[in-house]
Amino acid sequence: MSLAKWTVGLLAGMSMLALAAPADAGEVRVTVAEYSAKTGPYFEEVKKEFEAANPGITIKYEVVPWDVLLQKLTTDITAGTNADLSIIGTRWLIDFVQQDVAEPLDSYIKPEFKDRFIDTFLQPSIMNGHTYGLPIAASARAMYYNKELFEKAGIAKPPATWTELQEDARKIKAVGAFGYGLQGKEIETDVYYYYAMWSFGTEILNKDGTSGLSTPGALEAAKLYKSMIDEGLTEPGVTSNNREDVQNLFKQGKVGMMITAPFLSNQIKEEAPSLKYGVAAIPAGPTGARGTYGVTDSIIMFKNSKNKDEAWKLLDFLFTKEQRAKFTQGEGFLPVNKEEAKMDYYVNNADLAAFTALLPDARFAPVIPGWEEIAQITSDAMQKIYLGSAEPEAVLKEAADKANGVLKK
Amino acid sequence: MSANAATEVHVARFSQLMQSRVLPYLLTLPSLLLAAVVIFWPVWDLVQISTHDVNRFGQLRAFSGLANFWALAADPDFVAALWRTGLWTVLVVGGALLLSIPVAIILNTDFYGRGLARVIIMLPWAVSLTMTAVVWRWALNGESGMLNSGLMKLGLISQNIQWLASAETAFPMQVLIGILVTVPFTTTIFLGGLSSIPDDLYEAAALEGATPFQQFREITFPLLKPFINIAIVLNTIYVFNSFPIIWVMTQGGPANSTDILVTHLYKLAFRIGKLGEASAVSLVMFIILLIFTMIYVRLAMREQRA
Repeated sequence: MSLAKWTVGLLAGMSMLALAAPADAGEVRVTVAEYSAKTGPYFEEVKKEFEAANPGITIKYEVVPWDVLLQKLTTDITAGTNADLSIIGTRWLIDFVQQDVAEPLDSYIKPEFKDRFIDTFLQPSIMNGHTYGLPIAASARAMYYNKELFEKAGIAKPPATWTELQEDARKIKAVGAFGYGLQGKEIETDVYYYYAMWSFGTEILNKDGTSGLSTPGALEAAKLYKSMIDEGLTEPGVTSNNREDVQNLFKQGKVGMMITAPFLSNQIKEEAPSLKYGVAAIPAGPTGARGTYGVTDSIIMFKNSKNKDEAWKLLDFLFTKEQRAKFTQGEGFLPVNKEEAKMDYYVNNADLAAFTALLPDARFAPVIPGWEEIAQITSDAMQKIYLGSAEPEAVLKEAADKANGVLKK
Repeated sequence: MSANAATEVHVARFSQLMQSRVLPYLLTLPSLLLAAVVIFWPVWDLVQISTHDVNRFGQLRAFSGLANFWALAADPDFVAALWRTGLWTVLVVGGALLLSIPVAIILNTDFYGRGLARVIIMLPWAVSLTMTAVVWRWALNGESGMLNSGLMKLGLISQNIQWLASAETAFPMQVLIGILVTVPFTTTIFLGGLSSIPDDLYEAAALEGATPFQQFREITFPLLKPFINIAIVLNTIYVFNSFPIIWVMTQGGPANSTDILVTHLYKLAFRIGKLGEASAVSLVMFIILLIFTMIYVRLAMREQRA
């Protein structure tokens, strides 16, 4: 029966492999989200500098594309093989805190350290009075417009309201381009709708904590987008265009206006340097209300980390002015560090100024469990409306009911 | 002499062991144990997760019985995905079979450049499914896609078609791509089958005056049947579980209208974090495939015996 013994041995070996989470002393493992092709090289640079300055500590990265980050974290945490530090979407943080996998950082944070941050961006990572994450990346949204198309269509300045935007889109359509680039697929399809919804005075959550989707403002916004699609003021096939698709159309000069994040400026610089564009505020609604989407990603420490002190040293290093500037400018994000924000690069940058000017109107994803499900419900509802498969009113009502079901849990 | 005697004893013992009916079980035991590790263990894990209340990181809480399964049954998106999975599997497997038989027959005949033709047919197999899907996503792009510009140049369309914007055009395209990537494997099986049919059967039939169609119906098809059965079972399992084509091209959208069970499962588990319901979907898929395979294999075997 030596064969069976062998099998038992193999079994034991496999289970040991599964259980043994590598945890060398002085090794800090970091799960890094890949924002662009520059992310990996930047963090390799960090490793070199940090390890040289801190002998005895080694850093190990796992660089993961954004699309699969949550999946990887879920499986890693389930198996107990998660890293010491990880970048996460701040909107997921509440789940991590509720399930008790994120370590509060308060004992490490000295007043001097806290003072480095622009408060707006640190706030979303604070829950129940504890700081659970540090904003590694921050971004907001503003409207990009194609100056050449505007000139051709005889438009003097970017639209200040949605009504003006509609008229401008008609003029741009008349010169043979797509007026307003509307995203209708994949991540942030819901957010693209919120831009209009916020302008009509509706918030994602009503004051009583129920979904805002069944309010008149939500319906107005949905009808506005739908009428623009029907009139041919957007690109055709809205539901087949994700954010990158619309950005590509903008870079090709086929779209007059679109709303997106600061990193598009970096992409244009590299891929379409001759494109003449401007950045303006998101149009306001009839009452003058407007909103932009503020997003931060946090880097968090896991509760089961065995090298917390070493991990904190790395965090301290990552959030120095020099390191922040290198990362933020490479990726095209907004500065989260006060001193960094005073650098010439940001002060003299017209594009970024448009984004920072919108920050007082920024809404961050609401801090509620089940947020991802509500985002999914909203995206699905928008796709139904854009496709015209049902009346906006009925779709929004149904989506609001579903969202309220999630919110009650 | 003594060595011979020892061998004889060994042989006797061996045949005794064979007759005792224990040996076959002993011989399959190691692979059974291995199967237990790689198959039954995960399935057991799924049963655990799907019958419990779990958090989004898979940690089990209270036992919840069949609650996750009832939640699925009440979810119209799941029910729609279930039917669509059936349609997807039947269309892709059926289409691939219909296309592969003539392709295999042609590739089995001797012609100049047959080697090259075989390589070309097999090529889609060598490319990863995800890459194929990514390329098709570009090709089907409404504004800058190759397909639209090609059709435009041929004068077949006067306006760009937004292939992936709605299920009416996206799903048929996904089925076509599914067929395209299933053909190489199916053709390989059929080529193996065809080469096992002796040539003299055709020679004799030709002498008797049988037309090529009659030869196909009376010789090729019946002798190919076991291979067709294998192709149906294996392809059904692969296609039923196939994730990349639909995920890469539409993520099951717009508004879940091209979702099949695997994409629905992925969204449940890793977007929304409902691991309990996702495990339930996964078990339902496992059971459907198990029942299908058992019924089909039994039917096919009965046919062969008859």
